[in-house]
This record gives sequence, structure tokens and C-alpha cells, in this order.
Amino acid sequence: MVEAAKREVPALAICSTAFATLGKSQAKALGHAELPIAIVPHPFGIRDREELREIAAKTVDDIAKLLCESGDVEAFGKDSATFSAGRRAEQITVPSDFDDFNRLLMERHWGDGFPAIAPTPERVTKMLAHTSRAPDEIVARIAPGYGEATVERIAINAVMAGCRPEYLPVLLAAAEAVADPDFNLQGIQSTTNPGTVFLILNGPIARKLGVNSGNNCLGQGNWANATLGRGLRLILQNIGGALPGEMDRATQGQPGKYSFCCAENEEANPWEPLHVERGFSANDSTVTVVPPLGTWNINTHAKDVSDLLRVMADVMAFPAGSDYVYGGGAPWLVLSAEHAFILKREGLSKRDVKQRLWELSKLSAKRLSEKDFARTQNGRRAELGEITRESMLPISPRPECIGIIVAGGPGTHTVYMPGSGYTKSAITRKIV
Amino acid sequence: MANESMRVLDPIGVPSVRPQQLRKVLSGLEGKVIGFIDNGKPNFHYLVDDLEELLMQKYGVSSVVRHRKRGSVPVGDAAIKSMVDQCDAIITGSGD
Repeated sequence: MVEAAKREVPALAICSTAFATLGKSQAKALGHAELPIAIVPHPFGIRDREELREIAAKTVDDIAKLLCESGDVEAFGKDSATFSAGRRAEQITVPSDFDDFNRLLMERHWGDGFPAIAPTPERVTKMLAHTSRAPDEIVARIAPGYGEATVERIAINAVMAGCRPEYLPVLLAAAEAVADPDFNLQGIQSTTNPGTVFLILNGPIARKLGVNSGNNCLGQGNWANATLGRGLRLILQNIGGALPGEMDRATQGQPGKYSFCCAENEEANPWEPLHVERGFSANDSTVTVVPPLGTWNINTHAKDVSDLLRVMADVMAFPAGSDYVYGGGAPWLVLSAEHAFILKREGLSKRDVKQRLWELSKLSAKRLSEKDFARTQNGRRAELGEITRESMLPISPRPECIGIIVAGGPGTHTVYMPGSGYTKSAITRKIV
Repeated sequence: MANESMRVLDPIGVPSVRPQQLRKVLSGLEGKVIGFIDNGKPNFHYLVDDLEELLMQKYGVSSVVRHRKRGSVPVGDAAIKSMVDQCDAIITGSGD
């Protein structure tokens, strides 16, 4: 709607009731609170034809009115977000008592539900000492509210998450990465899907900061993993404006939305590490952002390459209920060192593994429901051409879209992460 | 202790866009071309079918132009430009 309105054409959005808050909040955040929205009952996807005719009949007069009447233009500006332009963060007075401070955080929707550290000027200053970038420099604009992620605001949220001051450069690079258009943060942050952002660290900084790449690297128990993932979540929520139930429309969400971060186990990786595969030098430190819809454990004791790949591909191709079916996407595997060793021992490169998995994990379009089949035809026509019930749907547009890292401790477990269907690619940024 | 206070920095990000009045209106719908950007969700195309019929019958709209987008992927510049060139007003869909 906003893009059409910017071209000086009358525009309005039809939102189902469950999305009206998102529509209004985003229009307000973008400075166009006056743009009109016609509301229809949610969900309209389950209505029969007669019900849809009734909805259209009830809505058409609203649409005509909204397209032809200017509405309360006097209210323009009163309800729009305040223009900031790289402004430094304001100091505010809060209770110093730990419990009272945290109660206030939750009342103001500044927290994730866990107690947070007070972002006092002293703590934020200590964190800012770990970058040469100016506090008011805008690192990124974070969807869906497109709030300015200045260096200072990133540091404030990092303090609240419990990050050590030396973690700041990781979050600066992560904020840049999530804002890359190919990552489609707008979709990830505002969808009903449970998408979140998984941070993968590579290079010397992962070891320097003690980011866990071994046993239980996706679980609890490590300061850097826990607080870096949490720090990004607070940035996405507080700066990006993705509040649950408001602009964050996730139906259930997932536990990974609290924190999701590990390092690649480069020592156990028999191939080149992720950042080298993506064009960086081995001595560079990088963060890669990935949008998983969840995690699924692949526990297989297969020792033969064909067996192992078949089991992995069967898990990846779980049918019909996954976002990739509609939109393609970028799925990921966190391979155990033991599985990676078996694949490498038979002479397979990472590229070979991706190619084999891509071929083996195709899903028959016959397995899709009628509505999902129609969505898939629309969503993937440009990629796959005309899709019929006889089509075999690849898990991603190309084999190289499958992401692979090696992480974790001993064990026959690989983690599969289906990706958000509309993210073109994970994004990697150098940490400086 | 409970009554003591401290100073903290505001963690909330505010948009850097300057509020701008974009709303335009039509003098009427008679003879106008209306564009629909279909979000690709189930049934939205039926809703557009019904709205097209009603807008033409009840308000004299001359025709409806449609563009179907891919789920949560933003509509590209070329598609927006094409719709704007053809239509007097644009209606987008959001939700399920």
C-alpha cells in the first residue's frame, strides 16, 4: 500500500482482523498513519464461496468510502511515529530496585520475559568502547517498524541481554546482516510462521569470545551463545518493533525466538568452514544469519553414505506442512562431526552433499492439500515453471541454497532446520 | 531501596522516516480502473472476484487489474509501476 501511495495513487489495504494491528502499526511506523485500511473477518481462507460473497458485500461500501473520502486528515502527524534521524537515545528515570525495574520493563514491552540488566549510561559506555563507530551511526533499519538501529541502541539492547562489552561488534554485524533485502526480515518478523534468526559465528572471534561450538551448542549453558542470541532478539523486538501479538504475528512462535546462536566447530569440520565457503578468509571473523522455522533431530547410525543421505533427505522432505513447499527457500543442516566424517571419507565435498540431498529430498506435489497445491503453483511458478500434481518439488530453488555447517559434540545427530520459504539466502557479514 | 531511582537509556528504536501525508482520494469511482494486489493467500482471489463484480455493478468501476504476489515477498518495483500506470487506485491484501 505504501509503495503505491508513494507514487501518488490512491491506495488502501484490505486486512483480515488478525492482521489489522500489523497494517496500522506498520503504516504508522513508516510515517503514513493516515493511509486507509478496510477490515475483513479473519480467517477468510476457510470461508466458503457464499460467506466470501457476504464479506465482499459488507466491505465494498467501506472500500468505496475510503477511496473517495479524505478521512480525518487533521489527525495527520498526531499519530505518526516521531521523526528521529539518528538521534541519541534519551535517558529516562526508572526504579533502581531490580524487581521494580524489571516489572517496568515488562509493562513497557521492552523485555523478552526474562529479567534484564539495566542499560545504565555507564554500562552502555563500556560496551561502546569496543567499537570505533560513532554512537549515532545508523547501522541498519530493522523491519517491520524500520526503527533505526544506531550503534548506541544496539549497545543498549546488548546490555539488557547480558552481553559482555566485547560482544558488541558481533551484534553490529548481525544487525547489518538481517537488514539485507535478500534476508526478507519483514516477512520473518511479521509472519504467522515461527521464523526466527539463528546466528552462526566463524573465525577467530568465536574462539576469543568462547562461543560454544561443541556439546549442546544449541542448548543452554554458555554465556556468549545465550546472550548474543538474546541480544539480537531484543534488537528485533525493541528496535524493529516486532512485539508479539502486534507486528509479530507468529501463531505459536518457537523457543529459538528467545536466543539462537552457536559457532561452527571448525576443528571438527572436514571441509572448508562456512565463512570460507562464502568467500571470506579463514582469518576473518564473521556472523551468518539464518531464518529457521524450527529444529528437527536426525538421529541415524547409518555408516554408508547412500544410507546416511537417504535418511537425511527423507527427514528434510517431510511433506506438505512446511513453508518451503510454497515458496522454496534456504534449509540448513547442522551436521555432527561423525556424519560429516562419513560423507568426507567417501570423497564427497559439501557441494556434492548439497546436490545429493537436493535430488533425494524432492516432494511429490500429489501429497499437497488442494489449497497448498494452489499456493505452491503461485509461489514457485517463476522458479519451476508450471507445476502439476505429477511435479516433484525441490526443497530449494538450487542445490547451493541448502546450508551446511558442522557443529556439536560426539554423537550420531544432525539437526535439520527448515528455512523460511521466502528468504533468498542466509547473509554473512564480517565482524570488525 | 524500593523508592530509589536510576537513569537508563531508552532501548526503543524509532523510525527515521519523516511523517509524510500520502493519502490521495478519488472524486468518484465511476469509470475508474481499480488495481488489486493479491497476497496469494487462499480465497483472496475469490474476494477480489466478488469485489470486482460489486464495484462495477454498484459504483460503475470500468475494470479491475490484478497482480498476484508471492506470499510475504514484497512486490517488486516493476510490478508496482505497471499497476500504477494502469490503475486509478490500488488495493492490497494482507492476512489469511
